[in-house]
Amino acid sequence: MKFTKILALVLSVVLGLGMFAGCGSVNYAETNTEYVIGVSGPLTGGAAMYGVAVANSAQMAVDEINAAGGLNGVMFKLVATDDMHDPTKISTNYSSMYEGGMQVSLGTVTTAPGLEFKNLSADDNVFFLTPSASGDDIPANPNGYQMCFADGNQGKVAAEYVSANFSGQTIGVFYKSDDAYSKGIYDQFKANLDASVTVIETTFTDANTTDFATQIDTLKDCGFIFMPIYYTPASLFMMQAKDIVGASTVYYGCDGFDGIDNIEGFDITTIPQEVTMLSHFNSKATEGKSKEFIDKYVAAFGAETLNQFGASAYDCIYAIYGAMKNAIDSGKQIPVTISASDLCDILKAEFNGGYALSDAVTGDGSPITWESTGYVNKGAVKYVIKEAN
Amino acid sequence: MELILSTLINGLSLGGIYAMIALGYTMVYGIAKMLNFAHGDIIMVGGYVIYVFMAFHNPLLAILMAVVFCVLLGITIEKVAYKPLRGASPLAVLITAIGVSYLLQSLAQIIFGSANKMVTVYDFGSVKFLGVTVQVSALVTLAVTVVVMTALTLFVKYTRLGRAMIAVSEDKGAAQLMGINVDGIITITFAIGSALAALAGLFYLLKAPSISSTLGAMPGIKAFTAAVIGGIGSIPGAMLGGILLGVVESISYKITAIAPYTDAIEFSILIIILLVRPTGFLGKKRREKV
Repeated sequence: MKFTKILALVLSVVLGLGMFAGCGSVNYAETNTEYVIGVSGPLTGGAAMYGVAVANSAQMAVDEINAAGGLNGVMFKLVATDDMHDPTKISTNYSSMYEGGMQVSLGTVTTAPGLEFKNLSADDNVFFLTPSASGDDIPANPNGYQMCFADGNQGKVAAEYVSANFSGQTIGVFYKSDDAYSKGIYDQFKANLDASVTVIETTFTDANTTDFATQIDTLKDCGFIFMPIYYTPASLFMMQAKDIVGASTVYYGCDGFDGIDNIEGFDITTIPQEVTMLSHFNSKATEGKSKEFIDKYVAAFGAETLNQFGASAYDCIYAIYGAMKNAIDSGKQIPVTISASDLCDILKAEFNGGYALSDAVTGDGSPITWESTGYVNKGAVKYVIKEAN
Repeated sequence: MELILSTLINGLSLGGIYAMIALGYTMVYGIAKMLNFAHGDIIMVGGYVIYVFMAFHNPLLAILMAVVFCVLLGITIEKVAYKPLRGASPLAVLITAIGVSYLLQSLAQIIFGSANKMVTVYDFGSVKFLGVTVQVSALVTLAVTVVVMTALTLFVKYTRLGRAMIAVSEDKGAAQLMGINVDGIITITFAIGSALAALAGLFYLLKAPSISSTLGAMPGIKAFTAAVIGGIGSIPGAMLGGILLGVVESISYKITAIAPYTDAIEFSILIIILLVRPTGFLGKKRREKV
């Protein structure tokens, strides 16, 4: 009995002490000889294409910066860990990187693990700029920023694109009125759309609806149809509409279109119309920075893993590098052994203070800036999934 | 004019499918006095059978197999699930039917996965019809529906078997006394209903070449609504209700302001009919003795 009590006391003291482990301002970067950037992404498993693209592209950017002399002679080092798109892997990955001297991070590649990462990194005040975790909550803490469009931001971005290109014209919209994703984007789209653009809208509600004859009939004269819906209903609409809407009509979707050219049983080449999606990167670009990036990437890693995730990661590295350089130029000290928390404060001040990344691979060519909420400000490009026949 | 015409054609072809499914509901109700809520899922099964047999690239074979498979399935369901409950309370039968519906959906999900499967049975293309571009499949659907319904009406009215069906629906006991094999008639009713459901599955695939395990759920409920609107138990009523519901749906989707509420509007019609004319448009008034 007595022994049990003593044991309980000892155990509770040990466990209690354990709570304090890791607290206090330990600087794990004390022995760093390079600036260490960490990233966690699916390097294996079903989503590996995204993680591998990010790791490859980030490494490419790091190599370029180092080849050009680093930042005032200090080199960068990228540490990529594999989370297999599994949120439960994040705490291990994060600790190994953080305790291994990570000073700044690209966060995670995908959203679900990113929701874990954002909390862990907020506790330690580690700055991250994610290339592709697009969840609205990812930058919820002051230390988090996005290079990709947030999910909820796509309506606004699409509205800007349509306002700029279809002023005074009529466009069609096909959305799912009872779906948070679709209606959310459409509401934002409508709120931000230029008043000179006339919208013909049509909708569906039941998720099992496969017959869109009436909706197609409503939009048949539109030359541009915005579809903030997922690819399955979109593909059904296109199949049924292929002879009815004009051959020169352009379908424009958001990230829900991602993968539409890869549906079993749906041959997108049988659709005469142009299928495009809102994106921040055009992987078929034929000029400019995007083209340069594509050529370098394909030469180094092949075309299989070339995608917007990688392009975005490439920009992330340059954005972090540029912001650090800016800070140093304005008199801040960033020693190679700077703690993650100190560097985070410097970078937050830069990103919230109007730092702009020019010459980016993603976006429409105009400089990229950030809101203090962590959301990115950049122009959308029209990514052509399939050209008109 | 063009607008009215295209809306009407779309509504009619959709209504034709609803009518086809509603026939299955109404016949089973008329003869076995039960609501077969698994009926909608037979459509889905028919669709999947077509999907499987389209591997041989022969649409006719696929359609034939779908009809045969659905007929066998309908008969099996009736024998295994419903027959033992003959004489049980209607609620027990209703719950069993809902159970069968979930069973079919879950089985389909286990076998084919939850993602939509795409299968193109036959691409009829489209034609210009009075200035409106119409999918030929919509016209085919409409034509086949009319033919099938006419045939069914003639069958029920003028053949021995059909008249036996009417007799069973009028008075089961008396029909049995007259030497009609009531169980046999019920089996045949399920077989016909399931064959129609297989055709409805085909028409869904012709409209949109995509199939999922819940394909039949909403059409099933809509068709049930159609059957009630037309007067459950009445064959012409099912046609009328189906066509009416299809046209209402098509018009509602056309009007932007009410489009998001289309389903609600359709089911409101059901509620109004139940309040104002519980027997539906063509249903027989029957005095219940308490």
